[in-house]
Amino acid sequence: MQKYSVFSLIKNAFSDHQNWEVAWKDPTPKKEYDVIIIGGGGHGLATAYYLAKEHNITNVAIIEKGWIGGGNVGRNTTIIRSNYMHDDNALFSEFGMDLWRKMSQDLNYNVMFSPRGIINLAHSDAQMNAYSRRGNSMRLNGIDAVLLSREEVQKRIPMADFSDNVRFPIFGGLMQPSAGTARHDAVAWGYARQADSMGVDIIQNCEVTGFDVTNGKIVGVRTSRGDIKAKKVGLCVAGSTNILAEMLNMTLPIETHLLQACVSEPVKPLLDHVVTFGAGHFYCSQSDKGEMVMGGDLDGYNSYSQRGNLPTLQHVLTEGIAMFPFLSKLKMLRTWGGIMDMSMDGSPIIDKTHIDGLYLNCGWCYGGFKATPASGWTFAHTIAQDRVHELNAGYSLNRFNTGDLIDEKGLGTKTWIS
Amino acid sequence: MLYIFCPHCGSRSQNEFAYGGDATVKRPELNKEVSDQEWDNFVYLRKSPRGKHLELWHHISGCRQWIKVERDTSTHEIFKTYKADELTE
Amino acid sequence: MSQDFRLDNIGMVNRDKKISFTFNGKKYFGYEGDTIASALIANGVHLVGRSFKYHRPRGFFGVGVDEPYAILQLERNNERDPNIRATEQEIFEGLEVKSVNCWPSVNFDIGAINNFLKMFFPAGFYYKTFMWPPSFWYKIYEPFIRMAAGFGEASIKHDKERYEHKYEYCDLLITGSGPSGLASAYAAAKNGARVILAEDKPRYGGSLLTSDVNIGNQTGVEWSEKIITELKSMSNVIVKNRSQVFGYYDHNMLVMSERISDHLPQTQKYLPKQRLWYIRAKEVLISSGSIERPLVFGNNDTPGVMLSSAAKEYMKVYGVLVGKKPLIFTNNDSGYETAIEFKKNGVNPLILDTRKEPSSDIVTEAKNLGIEIKFSHVVVAAKGYKKVKSADIAKISDNKKDLSNIENIECDCICVSGFWTPSIHLASQSGNKSEFNEKIDAFIPKKSKQKENTIGSANGKFTLEETINEAFDKGYEVSNKITENNNKVSMPTVVEKKSSEHDKFWCVPLPKGKSYKRFLDFQNDVAVTDIELALREGFRSIEHVKRYTTLGMATDQGKTSNLNGLQLVSDIENKVVPQVGHTTFRPPYTPVSIGAIVGREVGKHSKPTRKSPMHEWHEKNNAVFVDAGVWLRPRYYKQGNETLFEASKREAKNVRKNVGVCDVTTLGKIDVKGPDAAEFLNRVYTNAWLKLPVGKARYGVMLREDGIVMDDGTTTRISENHYHMTTTTAQAANVLSHLEYYLQLVWPGLNVNVVSTTEQWAGAAIAGPNSRALLTKLFPNSDVSNEGLPFMGYKEGDLFGIPAKIYRISFSGELAYEVNVESDHGNFMWEKIIEVGKEFQIQPYGTEALSTLRIEMGHVAGSELDGRTIPHDASLEGLVSKKKDFIGKRSLSRSSFTKPDREKIVGVVPLDKTTSIPEGSYIVKDPKAKLPNPKLGHVSASCWSVEYDNPFSLAIIKDGKNMIGQKLFAMSPLKNKTIPVEIVSSHYVDPEGKRVRA
Repeated sequence: MQKYSVFSLIKNAFSDHQNWEVAWKDPTPKKEYDVIIIGGGGHGLATAYYLAKEHNITNVAIIEKGWIGGGNVGRNTTIIRSNYMHDDNALFSEFGMDLWRKMSQDLNYNVMFSPRGIINLAHSDAQMNAYSRRGNSMRLNGIDAVLLSREEVQKRIPMADFSDNVRFPIFGGLMQPSAGTARHDAVAWGYARQADSMGVDIIQNCEVTGFDVTNGKIVGVRTSRGDIKAKKVGLCVAGSTNILAEMLNMTLPIETHLLQACVSEPVKPLLDHVVTFGAGHFYCSQSDKGEMVMGGDLDGYNSYSQRGNLPTLQHVLTEGIAMFPFLSKLKMLRTWGGIMDMSMDGSPIIDKTHIDGLYLNCGWCYGGFKATPASGWTFAHTIAQDRVHELNAGYSLNRFNTGDLIDEKGLGTKTWIS
Repeated sequence: MLYIFCPHCGSRSQNEFAYGGDATVKRPELNKEVSDQEWDNFVYLRKSPRGKHLELWHHISGCRQWIKVERDTSTHEIFKTYKADELTE
Repeated sequence: MSQDFRLDNIGMVNRDKKISFTFNGKKYFGYEGDTIASALIANGVHLVGRSFKYHRPRGFFGVGVDEPYAILQLERNNERDPNIRATEQEIFEGLEVKSVNCWPSVNFDIGAINNFLKMFFPAGFYYKTFMWPPSFWYKIYEPFIRMAAGFGEASIKHDKERYEHKYEYCDLLITGSGPSGLASAYAAAKNGARVILAEDKPRYGGSLLTSDVNIGNQTGVEWSEKIITELKSMSNVIVKNRSQVFGYYDHNMLVMSERISDHLPQTQKYLPKQRLWYIRAKEVLISSGSIERPLVFGNNDTPGVMLSSAAKEYMKVYGVLVGKKPLIFTNNDSGYETAIEFKKNGVNPLILDTRKEPSSDIVTEAKNLGIEIKFSHVVVAAKGYKKVKSADIAKISDNKKDLSNIENIECDCICVSGFWTPSIHLASQSGNKSEFNEKIDAFIPKKSKQKENTIGSANGKFTLEETINEAFDKGYEVSNKITENNNKVSMPTVVEKKSSEHDKFWCVPLPKGKSYKRFLDFQNDVAVTDIELALREGFRSIEHVKRYTTLGMATDQGKTSNLNGLQLVSDIENKVVPQVGHTTFRPPYTPVSIGAIVGREVGKHSKPTRKSPMHEWHEKNNAVFVDAGVWLRPRYYKQGNETLFEASKREAKNVRKNVGVCDVTTLGKIDVKGPDAAEFLNRVYTNAWLKLPVGKARYGVMLREDGIVMDDGTTTRISENHYHMTTTTAQAANVLSHLEYYLQLVWPGLNVNVVSTTEQWAGAAIAGPNSRALLTKLFPNSDVSNEGLPFMGYKEGDLFGIPAKIYRISFSGELAYEVNVESDHGNFMWEKIIEVGKEFQIQPYGTEALSTLRIEMGHVAGSELDGRTIPHDASLEGLVSKKKDFIGKRSLSRSSFTKPDREKIVGVVPLDKTTSIPEGSYIVKDPKAKLPNPKLGHVSASCWSVEYDNPFSLAIIKDGKNMIGQKLFAMSPLKNKTIPVEIVSSHYVDPEGKRVRA
């Protein structure tokens, strides 16, 4: 594989960039694979990469209905963090943070991981206390967190509303300095390129139409490009999980919902951090292009459509202006939607299933992007070893039977309330 | 913004309603023995199909009645709405 | 500067009103009705900006929403507006604009060095480099790249402008007032439909303003004026200019932004800057027209290269020449119209037509006018850096592959026409899957998904006759469907020039040995080579191409670049365009100001503020308020220089010692009525309710079905079939919905009604040893003795003539009562309590003292019932009935809920009895343990115990019941605190509950 570097860039410039190799090939499916990963999103691509890299399993196919990276890895707000209160979430995400920090070099692809820090604003002492609970838990788990006073917040984000004409004044905030953003598409492409180079077949435009299960064991998948045999199959299809689960006669504790995001027109850099509003649900960062990247609540009803409605955005942007009044003068340039696999406690599932050789990776709610490397790594481990790793042991399916729920927000099963 | 026909009030915009999720979930009867699995399925498992979905909406800023709505989850088209106690097709 | 490029006898600007404005600090003149673009062009200014990546000079490319270049920064009335499109913004007296994305000036821009290094910056170059050393991306490379990002500068001042929302319903919404919009609006309005006609531009008429046509013996302009005048006079029609329908949402909800004041020096009194219209339309006719496609050739981004239709509009609408030596480069008849317009205004154009031998009315007319035309000719490359100075042109072979006879021609502008792209955005947003139409090389809407139809050139109809006919038919047809009227207006005769077919050729090959950049996306600097590179590297899906190269992702959202990009991909991939497919359009069609989307809910009004009827009294008495959800509650009443800590301690102490009064109006209150009310409560709460006598209250806990505590509160049996339920402030709305859910859907057989009475009652909690004495004076006619009104008792009373409800309930753990009166009498009640209470040393107390009181009593509240706890965790298991079933009971038998070391609430006291434990601390065994340090549980609430005068906290910890007496540590790494503590009972004060029963 060609190595990317400033030298290769210069060298190729002099041959008019005619000699760059394809980033990944376009193979036709083989008859049989050791492992088939369904879903060419971030998690699927990462899983294939770690199967090859960590477990030396390279007879692997990624089957993607459309084009790789076309799901939520290509339609998120690029935030990466591990500021979780629950141990299961915290330790899993912090493991992921390490992978993020090394990712560009590991993949030889600049994913632009940018640890610009995330600030969760607090608007009351009670909220400061709730954030202390989370921040202290992070610190005891070895994750960086600092509690900021109002003045410290103002120093970092003077454009937030510190005026008197404010409904919910800023009392302070919780900051994870090592959190940040990354270039979302690059993550998918970087994993794809490396996985491909290690022998993984990336098969696009290939829709799964059914499964072959014999005696409680998976033996293959049926696709729009023919039947493919497989010893093991991993489902990594986020918002489409329920559609595949139905083919397997499985009902899962997840619902599919629509989440919108939007960007403003690009303006000169003024916001260095990722900031979240505490008196509602709104988050914002500024991309390297200058666009304000913004998101918030779900549209609030089951949906497989990527088209959202304006009232949700209006509501989200209302909170946006409440936090950053300067947004009022900017223009909303682009909106988009993604479909989320909302689980009943807000945390994901990475587990084996009752079908031998079938593995499940879903329930990411709106936290899928940041989890990409850790999810891929642990899912690869679970598939390769046929047992869960301690990092994803908490993300089991049967926690909904035992009551060991990982409910970060305490909202219960009303998945549509965010 | 969805336009939802409330069987009690007529067509009203979505912002008068709160969503209530899968309308086919049936609570086990009180005082009835149910297995762990049955109970957990009731608490945590929801139908979430792509296509026709029978779901609950609560007309909170209107008549405060819970209604059932048959809606397509991929196009958002609403086919029919029912009162809470009305039998669905 | 004089307006050297202004024509005298043409255009629609108001010559009687001269307007001065500044651009980059220099003063210019224009006329009322000019845009910044037209006024600058009139002054000979073509260099207004720099491109995003290479900082190449940028001029004007279009004349409207499709403009990729002319993005400026506006100062208006001391407010800064970034990213204004010069082709849309009308000038007003005193307007100030400046160029962006250039430094130190648009003329001399350091960033333009990128242009010389562009060979190193192909598409996606940043993915391949900036990786070493690892820490440099965030510290060095990215800050440098960010410096170059963005266009305008956002002001961080608060926006002083006002934005409004309006909701409207109509039979028919028509988006665009060109020929199809006007004709359909007219036909529908005459047939009785309620019509809204929206026009994005200031002037109505669309293409009729610039085309040489005749409708019903009138010019296009005259006809459109006549129709608009008549529409405006009709009561069933709303006509709006400067109004862009930018979003087509579900169930035929469309959203339009009306720019009411943007074209004025300042917003007029009582008017908003912009108004956002939510329009629910029974039917929609999309008549948004089409946008001319560029032709692609070398350096086709040089200022002076622009759309031929734009050049024509600058002449006909604004009376402005975009150049005096124009070159028209076209593959269809449209370029001829522009050429003829130049000729009519005394300027000699040269037409290069890619077609070999076209014959049509307009070609003949151009020939007859003596316009020089070169067939089978193309522009190879524009020459000139900041403005076109000349062009290399060539003859092109019939197979469009080979160039010959390359020569250089002097010119000062190149007007390009690569045929037309229908604006199908709204139809696509509606869910309409478009289809590729071979005849026009573009996508048009297919089958309607909602109640929408696309007409006119937006539907690929490029002759006026077809357009008008279709529009009259559709206007009648959809109005007839709605109104059932049969009033059909007669169609006017249409005279237009017959045109011939366009040439599918659109991208000029490079001559041998040349490597001119040929741009597709002008703002993001995406050139043909970038697309080629993307495909070479395997980015073959159009979505991959778009994301890898950033094609179509600029602020113009690819209005002029998307289709050419598709054509290029299909050429290279040897596919037809429909196989390549196209990306889906999402709202907004054009960028919309976020202020307008949000409307009036800003500043203090971003969320509602709820206040109790006693709010003014609290304010007058130095209350410091705290947000409790959307309620404002007194947190403490400040005396002198007291701190929060001092004040709350004083207030709490006074409750324990004398008597205090607290405003508890915010508690949720629900009336539960009906013969089955007791049975219902018995199912809702975990404890037993069937035997509660009339006149008694009971504390209850309700669960969600998953076994988690949802809320707690007291409910009182007012009469046989009437219960008064209270909820926490935070959960009031959820509890009501919860009750309605069970009554309407799960147990419809129960004869019970619930209704919120939160707003109906004002509540005052009177607590402390003196409370009974006070109550005796407040209600001299009622027996409030321990026998007459025992703990958890209820009775009605007469408060100086006002009916009141007295509940003997206590959150503070003291002897306490809660008095409710109708809200209107709330303030009267409060003042009476304070007045009569004086002799008992009454003091009002706020939420902080309330917290102190409940914490040291071990009463749980929101910080313990946080959506994750079961009754056991909060030591409420005694309230869980073993005998009867209730909501959520079955979940309580889950293994993790019943495990022996399950979390439980405890009390925590620092060993030194002086160090307060911060809320949110964790209890650990070993503060020096290796991370991750195992946590036993967290500190949920802390106070300064006024009873014992030392800190006291509540914590929920693993195996809590067996931890009492243990010496452990409370850790708050955030506050750098490690505090040795002892675990004690959560009931720190009066564990037997004697006081409440006293």
